[in-house]
Amino acid sequence: MIRASRVIEALLFASESPLSPADLARADEALDEERVEAAIAELRGEYDRDARAFTIYEVGGGYQLLTRPEFAPVLERFDSVPGAQRLSGPALETLAILAYRQPVGRAEVEEIRGVGAGGVLKTLQERGLIEVVGRGEGLGRPLLYGTTQFFLQHFGFRSLDDLPRSEELPVVLARREQRKEEADGSTAAGVSQAG
Amino acid sequence: MEAPAVQAGPFDIDLDRFHGPLDLLLHLIRNQDIDIFDIPISKITQQFLTAIRNLQRLELERAGEFLEMAATLVRIKAQMLFPRRGDDDEAEDPRADLVRRLLEYEHFREAARLLERAERERSRIYARGFVEVRPAPKLADLPLETTWDEVQSALGALIERLNAPETVHHVRGREIKIDDKIHEILAALQLARRVEFAQIVAPWGTRLHAVATLLASLELAKRSMVRVRQTAPFAALWIYRAKQEREAA
Repeated sequence: MIRASRVIEALLFASESPLSPADLARADEALDEERVEAAIAELRGEYDRDARAFTIYEVGGGYQLLTRPEFAPVLERFDSVPGAQRLSGPALETLAILAYRQPVGRAEVEEIRGVGAGGVLKTLQERGLIEVVGRGEGLGRPLLYGTTQFFLQHFGFRSLDDLPRSEELPVVLARREQRKEEADGSTAAGVSQAG
Repeated sequence: MEAPAVQAGPFDIDLDRFHGPLDLLLHLIRNQDIDIFDIPISKITQQFLTAIRNLQRLELERAGEFLEMAATLVRIKAQMLFPRRGDDDEAEDPRADLVRRLLEYEHFREAARLLERAERERSRIYARGFVEVRPAPKLADLPLETTWDEVQSALGALIERLNAPETVHHVRGREIKIDDKIHEILAALQLARRVEFAQIVAPWGTRLHAVATLLASLELAKRSMVRVRQTAPFAALWIYRAKQEREAA
């Protein structure tokens, strides 16, 4: 009988996109999600021990065989779209708001960033990073946006829980929040009255 | 005066660098180590107005966003001049709403930086299928430029050759070796980057030499040592040095 880890390896090798534990378990009656996870741990151990150029990454709720980062300089040379495709600052800010606050309407994004968001939302939607997830209450029942599975894959997150938490944000911010707490404690409005 | 807002020059600020009025305002506040909970609104308003004085260079929509913030700052500045009514503790600092917006924006600006870092890290690992096979173009995809005139002139040339006095019979002296022709071509390419097929054949002037030379050039092309090009059917045939020297593959 073929070992479970070999079956999983074959599936991951043959796939160009992430496969969920459920997808992988469907390959064989003897497999369930728990055994899939065990097989993946076994394979990772093998790849580490043999110093393979790839290993199994977990992205967007699935597993995928990806090359290790140290091979990036070699692989970059084969990039068919040279100088590709980083998101602009405004696009990243908008995406951050959506990721943490979803579902969010356009008005809230514009309120937070202080600038129009129509173009950026359209670009992000065209790139498949965000999608309309519903309609809000109120006038005109505005469209609400959320991030997609592809968003998780693109940034290498397993799930939205992988988003950096506020305590991981850089020092400036931590200091600021600390100060905010102090201020909240001392003055009611969180803003001192000096002028 | 206080320390300059930007190292380069007091208010020499490139508005294009900022993602909007909140971004600019935060820059002014953080770069001067101003306590965001106690913004000197008069000074900041002045600096903000100076920074956006070149606003007309921006497109209308972006300019409007900066002007709206300028108006907000001026309004807050005016409100600060009035004493709060009574000793009402409920009376909110006129700056409170702006501070809340700045902090919220700053939070997401930091989060955006983290996303950018995650994106950069993620872009360093590659999935299968990333390195694309580059298929040779299909014959049908290449433009065909032969005209009927060319076909006719080819026919004419053929008839002329058939009618020409036969000379081949008299040239049977020695065997023609393709290897010799290979050396001939390579020797010619030592001197020039490219050489016309007809030039190599010319001194010999017989069809058998031409055939052997053609076979030799095809053999060299197969070994990637030369490239053979012809821009149109029956046009001059050129032999080029291969771009990269690939020895003994």
